[in-house]
Amino acid sequence: MTPAGRATRRTLLRAAAAGAAATAAGCTGGSRSVQVAVVWSASELDRFRRVVAGYPVPVHVVSAGNDIDAFLRARHLAGTSPDVAILPRPGLVTEYAQRGWLSPVRPSSEYAVPTGLSDLLMTRGRRYGVWVKAAHKSLIWYLPSVLPRPPGTWDELVTLTRDLGALARRGSGPAPLAIGAADGWVLTDWFENVLADLAPDAYDTLAGPDADWQGRPVRDTLDRLAELWSIDGAFPGGGRRALLTQYEESVIQVVRSRRAVMVFEADFTDEVVGTFRRGPEEPKTFRFPSARPGAGGPLIVGGDAAVAFADARSGVELVEWLTRAGSFQPWLDAGGYLSPNTAIALDSYADPVRRELAGEMRAPGTLRFDLSDQLPGPFTGSDGLGIWRIMQDFFADVTDGVPAAEAVRRATGHLAAAARSAGGGR
Amino acid sequence: MSRVRVLGELAVLDDVGPPRRGRAYPAAGATSALLLPAIVLLGGLVLWPVLRTVHASVTTDGHWVGAKHFRTALAAPDTGAVVGRTVLWAVLVPAVVTALGYLLAAASRRSQEGGLVRLILLVPVALPLVVTGVTFRLMYDPDPSRGLATLVAARLTGRSAEAAPQLLGPGLVTVALMSAFVWAWVGLAVLVFRAALDAVPPNLADAVRAYGGGRRHVLWDAQWRPLLLRTVAVVFALVAVGTSRTFDLILVMTPGSVRDDAAVLALRVWQTSGGTTTGEGAALGVVWLAAVVGGILVAALFVRQAWPPPRAETPPDPDRVAPPRRVFRLLAAGAAVAWLVPLVVLIGTSLHGRVDAAARGWWSAPPGAGSYLHVVTGTELWRTLAFTLLLATVVTATVLVVALLAAYPLAWLTGPAAQATGLLLLAASVVPVQVIAGPVNEVLGLVLSSGTARGLALVHVALGVPFAVLVLRNAFADLPAEQVRGARLGGRRWWDTLRRLARHNLPAVVAVSVLEFVQVWNDLVVGLLFSGPEATPLGLFLAGQSRGFVSNSGLLAASSVLASVLPVLLVVLARRQLVAGLVSGGVR
Repeated sequence: MTPAGRATRRTLLRAAAAGAAATAAGCTGGSRSVQVAVVWSASELDRFRRVVAGYPVPVHVVSAGNDIDAFLRARHLAGTSPDVAILPRPGLVTEYAQRGWLSPVRPSSEYAVPTGLSDLLMTRGRRYGVWVKAAHKSLIWYLPSVLPRPPGTWDELVTLTRDLGALARRGSGPAPLAIGAADGWVLTDWFENVLADLAPDAYDTLAGPDADWQGRPVRDTLDRLAELWSIDGAFPGGGRRALLTQYEESVIQVVRSRRAVMVFEADFTDEVVGTFRRGPEEPKTFRFPSARPGAGGPLIVGGDAAVAFADARSGVELVEWLTRAGSFQPWLDAGGYLSPNTAIALDSYADPVRRELAGEMRAPGTLRFDLSDQLPGPFTGSDGLGIWRIMQDFFADVTDGVPAAEAVRRATGHLAAAARSAGGGR
Repeated sequence: MSRVRVLGELAVLDDVGPPRRGRAYPAAGATSALLLPAIVLLGGLVLWPVLRTVHASVTTDGHWVGAKHFRTALAAPDTGAVVGRTVLWAVLVPAVVTALGYLLAAASRRSQEGGLVRLILLVPVALPLVVTGVTFRLMYDPDPSRGLATLVAARLTGRSAEAAPQLLGPGLVTVALMSAFVWAWVGLAVLVFRAALDAVPPNLADAVRAYGGGRRHVLWDAQWRPLLLRTVAVVFALVAVGTSRTFDLILVMTPGSVRDDAAVLALRVWQTSGGTTTGEGAALGVVWLAAVVGGILVAALFVRQAWPPPRAETPPDPDRVAPPRRVFRLLAAGAAVAWLVPLVVLIGTSLHGRVDAAARGWWSAPPGAGSYLHVVTGTELWRTLAFTLLLATVVTATVLVVALLAAYPLAWLTGPAAQATGLLLLAASVVPVQVIAGPVNEVLGLVLSSGTARGLALVHVALGVPFAVLVLRNAFADLPAEQVRGARLGGRRWWDTLRRLARHNLPAVVAVSVLEFVQVWNDLVVGLLFSGPEATPLGLFLAGQSRGFVSNSGLLAASSVLASVLPVLLVVLARRQLVAGLVSGGVR
């Protein structure tokens, strides 16, 4: 059908529908503001609204939550895409760009992100998105009063887990580790940290079309995870219980009920900590330990990227504005925001923890972007799907006494099969 | 017309439609006009999407691929388990609900406490299934310091907290989900069975006894054969179709790690295709659609009866029936207490602040109104409630108008035409919306915009119309000839007649309105697939809050309680009309 014919039919059907269906008034209005669909909700949404209040043109922010992909697809079918969207995964940016939904964007001169991050948003040599928010995903949280000397290397972490696990089994102390294994992304974050520490080069290829999910680096990584996870008494309530523990509850187990000593997760854990902390003591963090003594340890970063939809002139301008160093100042002042932009002065951070983390992100060479967020199609994971589910099955195996070799063999088989059916890997 | 009485049931021996060409009967032109809105809605948002899904299941990007998608989808490693689980749901759960429903209906008849028992059983029927999911997840929390059921299980089995059976674990999660579903649906079965039992003429039992029949014979010849066979079939079919709603429960109750161990076709179709419908997702959807529609048509054959339906006879004098034996009455009372426990858990949790509810059991800390205060002083819940109220009201009004218009001419059809429309409407009312989500989005994209409140309302209307037409058509056809004649003589035009007839049909109109309103209010899946970000309907709001379940449980419980007040009130107040509407509408 010709575009003109399509438009006519659409107009006709619209008119017919307006007559036939006297339905709810939910009109979005015809104002000339810029519309932005974001993945954030609750306090993050409020703070982003404060950020765009500084933009000269009115900005209408809508929260599409975690289902932003489905929302944007439906909007595209309907021909009513927003001007700008903030997406939680770089895979979505390249996917939309390849379909021709996006227009290329040009960041401001004050925009600088660590190498390895900016390339993720390029398709066919053009930039289709910019990073607007980062998450530091290589932290282990603990209370200094419970754990006076945090482990410095992976081996120390394993030894500590063994010792504390033995105590916990006798009922004379908290379990060493809390883990929200009911949420698959917690387990993929573990996997990514160990992999980035063990085989940083393999890490970079796994997201690409030549990924080898049955190779030595993946197997070694899983072996190492099995070494830690299979320790008896490692998790409060055991592995079966850990698989029913969600991320938030795992944090509560450390900072509130104190049934565990350490919990691994990202900088945004402080939201949960703030609500559930008991007593005045602030939990502290240490970096995910490296296997090599003296090494800095891996640094996994996640992030949200802003894109402008095709034919949205005002969208491209807003995206450019978002990359200026001063734009996110209201959020920096409010706290809970880690910027991917290394051009932002560390002094701008009101939040001391974030200031330190932002400093770590500027150290050269170690930074890797969250691998599962780069994987294609359903392999990227969600509840019951993709790499999330494979890591959960692996966790269930190793905590249930399946020999590590067998568990690793199963997991790599599943990973390779999932990568193949999603169109990546060999 | 001639009617013969066979053992209390009316057998209609010839074709007895009301005279077809009365003065106020709509002429052919008017008939098409009356049917038009319903036809446009069903054609555009049900029939066309179904065809598109079938098309998508045998093509890739428009190219014919034959059965490839079906082979891929069915060859996927756990498709067998998913299909098996779906069948198990559709067979086991209706059987349990039907049996329990009959037992409790019989046990709660004609006793003083019976009314109270039935009222308690009815409350779960009205709750949004999302709230039921929240309630049972609270009760089955794997931590014995929070989950009542886990605590009791640990005590009973004498095992430590660590080794106690975990109802939300991979082994038992389907049992846990089924228990929640049975809890929610038994009240409905009780209500229907009670109406059926009340309609059984007691003199039948006397007659059987007079011929020397024992208790067994009375049950068989005076209850089962004349009436209960049909009622059982109706309840079974209703619940079996209802099991496609498990989707809501699975989404709310299962932690991510056990979601696969609980997956049924509804979930798998949604996981594979989301808001679009392509390839394998479409193939699974077609399989599912064929099973549901085939099943409901078989059930309809079982329960079909003469059309127009025989006149209901005056109900027998209830006082003549003896109250059930004491054991049975105790059973009913025990069931009522058991059915109260989850409600107590929900309310108990809602009476604790966010931190207390997450860190300890609701029974171990003094109650407070912290969670309610937090929810009530925020704007989010109010905005959601207001939007859902508006949505449900507008949808209900629209469905009522469209369905009344369509039901009026359809009610005068007779013979095969009437049966065919009945079956078509029945089939349309059981189409699972996940299967047609993608094409519906396309249609919405063409005519309105998807992801808006208007699009959402339109989908609700299209999904609600078939059942509403069915109920109202049957109610029109049920009207005594004198009333129809009176309305026709009184009304100068067909719309006067329609108005007068609708007034005679008030119970059916009430039933349709309440059902539709509660359906929209309690919905999750339509909101999940079609709502936009401007306004979140209630089900989606609650499901979104349940993502970080433990850390949100206090607020979630409080929101759930507040969200349930309206549907519970409506269903409890309109329970008599609902039964009448369901029994007549769901059956013929």
